[in-house]
Amino acid sequence: MKFAVNVIEALLIVAIAPLVRGVIARVKARIQNRRGASVLRPYADLLKLFRKEDLVPDTASALFRFAPVVLFAVTVTAAAFVPVLHPSALLGVSGDFIVLVYLLAAGRFFLMLGAMDGGSSFGGMGASREALVSTLAEAPLFLGLTSVAILAHTVRLSGIVEFSVRQNPFQLSAVHVLAFGALALVAIAETGRIPVDNPTTHLELTMIHEAMVLEYSGPSLALIEWASAVKLTLIMALLVGVFVPWGMATSNSLLGLAFALLAFLFKFAVLAIVIAMIESSLAKLRMYLVPDFLGVASALAILAVVFTALMR
Amino acid sequence: MDLTQLTPFPFALTVDRMSALFLLLICAVGTLVVLFSISYVERHYSGPKADWMWVLLPLFLLSMVLVVTASTAFAFLFGWELMTVFSAGLILIDGDSERRRHNIFIYLLMMHVGTAAVIASFFLFLPHANSLNFASMRAAVAIMPMGVRNAIFLLSFIGFGTKAGIVPLHLWLPKAHPIAPSPVSALMSAVMLKTAIYAFVRFTFDFLGGGPSWWGYLVLAAGAVSGVLGVLYAIAEHDLKRLLAYHSVENIGIIYLGLGAALVFNANNAPIWATLALTAALLHTLNHALFKSLLFLGAGAISDAAHTIDIEELGGLLKRMPVTGVVFLVACCSIIGLPLFNGFVSEWLMFRSFIAGAELSNISAAVILPLMAGVLALIGGLAVSCFAKLYGVAFLGRPRGIEAEHATEVAIPMQAAMALLAAACVTIGVMPGVVLPPLIAVTQELLHSSSPPEPALSISRTLPLVAGCVIVLIIAISGLRRIKRITPTWACGLPGLNSRMQYSSTAFSKPLRKVFARVYKPDRTVEIEYVNRPYFPKSVTYHSVRTTSFENSLYRPAVDAIVAMATRLRRLQTGNVQVYLLYIFLALVALLVFMRFA
Repeated sequence: MKFAVNVIEALLIVAIAPLVRGVIARVKARIQNRRGASVLRPYADLLKLFRKEDLVPDTASALFRFAPVVLFAVTVTAAAFVPVLHPSALLGVSGDFIVLVYLLAAGRFFLMLGAMDGGSSFGGMGASREALVSTLAEAPLFLGLTSVAILAHTVRLSGIVEFSVRQNPFQLSAVHVLAFGALALVAIAETGRIPVDNPTTHLELTMIHEAMVLEYSGPSLALIEWASAVKLTLIMALLVGVFVPWGMATSNSLLGLAFALLAFLFKFAVLAIVIAMIESSLAKLRMYLVPDFLGVASALAILAVVFTALMR
Repeated sequence: MDLTQLTPFPFALTVDRMSALFLLLICAVGTLVVLFSISYVERHYSGPKADWMWVLLPLFLLSMVLVVTASTAFAFLFGWELMTVFSAGLILIDGDSERRRHNIFIYLLMMHVGTAAVIASFFLFLPHANSLNFASMRAAVAIMPMGVRNAIFLLSFIGFGTKAGIVPLHLWLPKAHPIAPSPVSALMSAVMLKTAIYAFVRFTFDFLGGGPSWWGYLVLAAGAVSGVLGVLYAIAEHDLKRLLAYHSVENIGIIYLGLGAALVFNANNAPIWATLALTAALLHTLNHALFKSLLFLGAGAISDAAHTIDIEELGGLLKRMPVTGVVFLVACCSIIGLPLFNGFVSEWLMFRSFIAGAELSNISAAVILPLMAGVLALIGGLAVSCFAKLYGVAFLGRPRGIEAEHATEVAIPMQAAMALLAAACVTIGVMPGVVLPPLIAVTQELLHSSSPPEPALSISRTLPLVAGCVIVLIIAISGLRRIKRITPTWACGLPGLNSRMQYSSTAFSKPLRKVFARVYKPDRTVEIEYVNRPYFPKSVTYHSVRTTSFENSLYRPAVDAIVAMATRLRRLQTGNVQVYLLYIFLALVALLVFMRFA
């Protein structure tokens, strides 16, 4: 039973990932006074791409087509670490946030290599910028998660979430506030959303993620798009699980799980609306302002860690 | 094994658990490097050069074996000095131009300064130990005052730190490693630096048995600075071997982070976590030996096939050298610590012990250790960028030079040596359960603790699961129907995309170099020559000189001071025999006075 729930949790993140993107796009359209496409549009896009042929640049090696496969595989594996309905997750029992963060790094590394295999300047440009953003995001991401891990006295994700579930929602600690601030900023940078990167841009010179995938098409592109949607969803689920896990089932009763699912969908809808509002009200930052943005995140994360020691 | 009776010197060897670990490391890497050298030497050297190579290479290996098995100060220092001399000799095989001799001079000079500190730290044992064999040195520590212990620690920290290449004592490393023949660079980076780690652990943990917390903080600081600066300097490099040499500085920094954490835990009576941190440091030592030798052998294979190691001239090598390309990718994934490769296991253990630092009751330790996890994450992030740059520019895309375009796969023995190293990296990465128990036994012997670090074993349960998951997914997705069509790369609709339009290594690292400009302090001059018309320059020349700031701010004043002092001392040297006789007489009188009153 527990195993089945865990498998469903991991599949849930993978399955609803395109929907999350669709909802964000739809809400954005509404805020901008457009009607917008259906929330199911990303699924149709994926289906269409999977049916098309893979265009491979003549200079590229076998790694060009292998990179999206690795990216997708490690991202889905990472999704199996994240608790969704229940504090335990498929790999979350012994799996910890260190492995999770490095699995995402592995995916990014292969995507950067795939981008550089195309042999044009855009791929290198995108990879170079992605390198800048992800390098500077690594430390605050780690320290933010470290601070909540210290509070929970465990590095296992399920342990951290369990600790948060048991906590009184009104007993907010400064560490949680600081860590949430840091991780929210990092999440924006890691998933390539405005104000760090614009996922809907059409101008190559301002692209980060989109420039990396410029040479990709067909099923390879579908895998990359799906993987980045999964990454967005799993980072959202991680934030929800660590900071607002209330509503998660603590036992394996069907009623509890159903309630947990509803609570999860509600929290995701709220988060999607918040993201859409941020994206509609802010402009993209100049690239050399991104280090300052992540500098703020690092400062918050360092303070969060320092506070764990001071508040004992 | 006691050879004191056979030789006129106190010469004895023993092998305990830690010696065995380093013996394994030297012999395993050494064997594969020799396998690689069989065809490398055949293709690059002939006549006396090849003979010198085959004489010096085994002697170099043997001197390192002597260092890690010695059980008297004499045997240790004998091996220690031979190791330096043989490696310098091996560097000379590739030529002795003015520049190379200058680099070797700096190498030998710094090694001797380091050795001087090591000898001094050995001598400090003497008033308390009746002889300089390791057993009596160990026994002498108990009756030693704290001040002497501190002095021994500091001297060994400087002495072995010079050999290990911690910043700012790393100056020789990016000068000496790149100019050696590739198999020798592999041995120097992968194994020789490790003997310094061995000796430092031997002194600090085995002889001195740990010390106060500030020892740990000093080592942590050295590790953090070396780690971050090493990788930052590496990012700015486009000479493959210099880049790898700077990464050795980075990885030594990571090892020092683990050693420092172990010292802090030891000082705070947390033996379980001290064991974990020291295990992490030793495992990273082993891992670094495996992947760094693989990377340097890969550099050798590249220079063999493409006749250059400037990555701005390379490109598209994965297509032309598939085996080298794949094993080099494995090495890259290992050194940046991606899961399922060996670098990750040691970094995981290190992260785990840093986070455990928060449990200590000492508040400064509880703040500093978890923050070191952030430093390690930053180092990791920078290393990912650096190796994405290196692999992307050298192995992917289109070739940037004619030599790279006509590169072909290297000889079978070279491939085999690299493939075996890569297999070792992956094995440790997927099944850390194989190497962790013996390593834990080594650290337990060093720290005299019996409590096994339980958390270390959780990673050996997680990683096989993750590996299974990733591999099943990769196989499943690869089974998808994907029709492939080859097309020209998109060039915005214009024809004639060529290799000069690709992103270069310098361009790739530009954003990071700009963000960390304070570290690099580049010296740039742009000269624009106009002829009559103001907006249409005739020629633009651009110079960018990058000296590491240590050379100017730390070493230059020291060298100037020594030269100034030497110039002043020259006045003593008059060339007059009577004056020299006077010196001898004065020295004799001074000694007699000293002996009378001392």
